[in-house]
Amino acid sequence: MRIETLKAGETVLYSGPLCIMRDAAQKRLIQEMERTGKIPVDLEGRIVFYAGPAKPPPGYPIGAIGPTTSSRMDKMLEFLYRRGVLATIGKGKRTPLATELCVRYRRVYFVAPSGAAAALLSRIAEASCLAYPDLATEAVYAVEVTDLPLITAIDVTGTDIFSLEDRPMDLTRTPKKG
Amino acid sequence: MTRFSEALVRANTELDPSIREHLERYQGPFADILKENDRIAREKSLPLCQDTGFVECFCTLGQSVALEEPLQRTLEAAVANTYGAFPFRDSTVAEPLFRRTPLKDNVPPVVHLFQTEGKTLEIRFLVKGGGSENLSRYYALEPSAGVEEVENKVIELVGDNGAMSCPPLHIGIGIGGSSEKAMLNAKLALTYPLGARHRHPDYAQLEERLFRKLNALTIGFQGLGVGPTVLSAHTVYEPTHIAALPLAIAVDCYLNRKGVVRFED
Repeated sequence: MRIETLKAGETVLYSGPLCIMRDAAQKRLIQEMERTGKIPVDLEGRIVFYAGPAKPPPGYPIGAIGPTTSSRMDKMLEFLYRRGVLATIGKGKRTPLATELCVRYRRVYFVAPSGAAAALLSRIAEASCLAYPDLATEAVYAVEVTDLPLITAIDVTGTDIFSLEDRPMDLTRTPKKG
Repeated sequence: MTRFSEALVRANTELDPSIREHLERYQGPFADILKENDRIAREKSLPLCQDTGFVECFCTLGQSVALEEPLQRTLEAAVANTYGAFPFRDSTVAEPLFRRTPLKDNVPPVVHLFQTEGKTLEIRFLVKGGGSENLSRYYALEPSAGVEEVENKVIELVGDNGAMSCPPLHIGIGIGGSSEKAMLNAKLALTYPLGARHRHPDYAQLEERLFRKLNALTIGFQGLGVGPTVLSAHTVYEPTHIAALPLAIAVDCYLNRKGVVRFED
């Protein structure tokens, strides 16, 4: 993905792999790294989707899914970036710390549609659990998505669509394949 | 409790028609997928949101209603059966601080019980997502504070944090009572229908003003600046102590998944 050239406000239809994890899994990864010096998931090159899926309906690889509030995990963002995570996907405005880290590590933050879990489920083809199955919905999952609609919310220059000065006027144009 | 279970499924899978009206009019970012979500959830009985909530019940029990078992037990069984049978999410943990071990079937619901006259049991409930719940606030205002201070607290909270709780939002405001009563009233206010106004004209005007001022924040759908910022603002007041002016604010996401079920004994 052309991370460096994405501009805040730009829409993207993403197809490819995602790594799903949220509060509990990230906290445990950090604790495990501190304790043992290694973690059970290779995060290099991954895009992390902050989400906790519902239970899978019959015939689906995973359940209804959508982004959770990203700002709760800002204090754990540097841990992800230092292990090679390229981008994060979530919902809502983040704290200045996240913007600063996006600039320093040349990374981006996307928002995905929230409260659209039934529709997003149809964009997911495969899913498997990578680590911490005991955390249930908060376990680490790998999924393959097709045409997931995203908006670049913080770009590598630190432009943030949620800050009023930065809010682009052109959020409604047609999504490009990304 | 079949009707309560059915209402719980409906709240999770079918958008309230008065909210759908707003969604249909919305043309901004992610408009297509939000509309698609409304349709798919309804057609396939899939949850509108993966966060199928913490179930909060506000029960008013008529004094002559005879229950066969404690209401908490009945409602817990209904929640367990419903969340066990549908592809919803189990979003509760057994203990909040040390281990946070996930629980199965999304139990327990939070149950508040109030008594009244008569022979009706009314259960109002919210399917309350975690993102909006984290915006709950309590302020111990000074009794000399005026209506402006109340308005400013609400506007400041929504202005600073509204974008992270899936706007357009629903705002419940509890004024007066004790600290916990104010919060309870703020939650109760989230169960009221869109557009309903307080019967006391001062509070009705306060709701109108807040609705207008909050929408002037132009946070919009998904926090992306297009469309309404709030879809409802309701107040509930109580008598309070001479030294106090409790203010509680509760926030719900655009879906405002809720229901009311009544049983006649």
